[in-house]
Amino acid sequence: MPCLHLDAAEVSFPGLPAPVLRIPRLEIAAGSQVAVIGPSGSGKSTLVNVITGLARPTQGRVFWDERDIARLSEGARDRWRGANIGLVMQDFHLFPGLSALENVLLPARLARVADGAIRARAGALLSRVGLSRPDQPVETLSRGEMQRVAAARALLRDPGVIVADEPTASLDAENGAVIAGLLLELAAQTGATLIVVTHDQRLISRLPRRIAMADGTVRSDSMAEVRP
Amino acid sequence: MIRFALADLKRLWAGSVVIVLLVALAVALGVGVTLQERALRLGSARAAEKFDVIVGAPGSETQLVLSAVFLQPAALPLMPGEVLAELNDDPRVEWAAPVGFGDFHAGYPIVGTTTTLIEGTAGGFSRGGMFRTEGEAVVGSAVPLQPGETIVPTHGQVEQGGHEHEGVRYRVSGRLNPTGTPWDRAILVPIQAVWHVHGMGLAPGHDEHGQGQGHGHEDEHAGHDHAGHDAAHENDEAHGHRGLDADAPLDEDWHRGALPGLPAVLVKPRTIADAYRLRQDYRADGRTLAVFPGEVLTSLYATLGDARQVLAVIASGTQLLVAAALLMVTVIHVGQRRRQIGALRAFGAPRSAVFGIVWLELSMLVGLGILLGYGGGYLAASLLSRAFAMQRGFSLPVGFTPEDGATLAILVAAAALLAALPAWLAYRQPPAAALRG
Repeated sequence: MPCLHLDAAEVSFPGLPAPVLRIPRLEIAAGSQVAVIGPSGSGKSTLVNVITGLARPTQGRVFWDERDIARLSEGARDRWRGANIGLVMQDFHLFPGLSALENVLLPARLARVADGAIRARAGALLSRVGLSRPDQPVETLSRGEMQRVAAARALLRDPGVIVADEPTASLDAENGAVIAGLLLELAAQTGATLIVVTHDQRLISRLPRRIAMADGTVRSDSMAEVRP
Repeated sequence: MIRFALADLKRLWAGSVVIVLLVALAVALGVGVTLQERALRLGSARAAEKFDVIVGAPGSETQLVLSAVFLQPAALPLMPGEVLAELNDDPRVEWAAPVGFGDFHAGYPIVGTTTTLIEGTAGGFSRGGMFRTEGEAVVGSAVPLQPGETIVPTHGQVEQGGHEHEGVRYRVSGRLNPTGTPWDRAILVPIQAVWHVHGMGLAPGHDEHGQGQGHGHEDEHAGHDHAGHDAAHENDEAHGHRGLDADAPLDEDWHRGALPGLPAVLVKPRTIADAYRLRQDYRADGRTLAVFPGEVLTSLYATLGDARQVLAVIASGTQLLVAAALLMVTVIHVGQRRRQIGALRAFGAPRSAVFGIVWLELSMLVGLGILLGYGGGYLAASLLSRAFAMQRGFSLPVGFTPEDGATLAILVAAAALLAALPAWLAYRQPPAAALRG
């Protein structure tokens, strides 16, 4: 499992006086479970973009183990992300017209890595997250079920890192709790590093480490408090 | 990828249908113009194919062909009748047959001619046989009459103020096989009947009408304008249609006395060289004009070609506009799908797959539109040709040629290229757009 090491990472946009993200140093150990918290506009999403390779920092380095993904080309970052990061987002991003199973398999198919083993794993993951009908069209699923499908999709390629961006924000309390539990269990089971951006206090309370963001930088880090 | 593209198009079905229809209409317009123009060219060439040389009085070559080949009613000047006898005696001529126009039955032109012409140009009889007496008629395949039925000729067309020839009746003796030419709409009667109905010609007791009067009359009866009709009417009354003797035997010997003036003689030369020499001789001669219908049609096409060019430019302009509109719509559409496209990338789909999906979706829509357009253009041209055939009697054969395949290939290639632009925009879109904000 890879560990994250940010080194003087900065994201700034022309016309803005201050960088939207400035993290001199941040480490997340392999297999740890981390909550990223903070008000909106504090740079949480930018942080997620940078550590998943969705965006390149303006400056600095983003190491996952020994690899600096900030130096990878766009295509290489896509490939790296596909193989190493499982993403779960607030808006599920499922594609209507396809079944639950097809949605789970879609990114792998588009990346041409969907072999028999992957297909078998997709079915197993769907039943693991509690979806009984893998052939059901996604548009007929409830919101809770949609997020379960999204979770299964994130885990399909057995990523070393699961990044969830407000995974419970568009769910009711009950479904939110189920999804939170599912993510924690799955991460623990596979040993994947779990990074969750969230406002959900109940979810935050279940994560051992909390990184609080404000104004684009890390305001406090529970790990740092423990280990000054 | 195809499955995803199809699911995506299904989701956006309304927009997809509009795009397909738009493309189909633009393509159908272009294809229709091409096919129809080709059909007109082939159809009229086929109509003229049996008529090697046409000899008429000096005047408009085009009008001579339009009247003799396409049976278009018009006032043709007359040439002296003895030209027919001369042509028949010419060793270079296989046969020469006069045609006389002016009368109609229920909108179908009645053409006075000879058995030789019918034998030489038509493809045999489907029912009945050749006329044997002055009062018999042979009908083309598009004339809704059967052997035994009666024809009442009107002088000129009724809707243009024509009137019935009192007491004149033809009996249908036979019906010809279809030839696909305007002559399918013709009612063919012995030329002597036309002369006699109009008080001209060689019948005993009619010689005193003489050439001069015959000429004048023929002139007027060929023109169906109102003034001409009044004059003709008076003339007809004066003659009282005494001429038609329904039971009189056919007389196709052109040497017994002076023939009335003739609007046109169709000539079948023995050889191609003869055809050229005949045209030369009868063109130089001040009394007559000789034309190759094919040649006249070619120069007519040259004129039509300009019109076709205009239509083709309009059609291409339409296609260009549709292409531009399509490009705009898809570029906007790709912009609106930033999040979806970003999400695909975020979950690990390679950029090439994103490019492929957008390209495939657009190409499928445009490709389908092009195919439908070809089908639609063909259908439209066929329907137009059918309507034309019903009205004019001659068929316009609608068909694709290899060059249409080339056009199709160019269109498809252009569509593929066009689809690449929004696909490229999608390719360039940053995946971070998938996240909120």
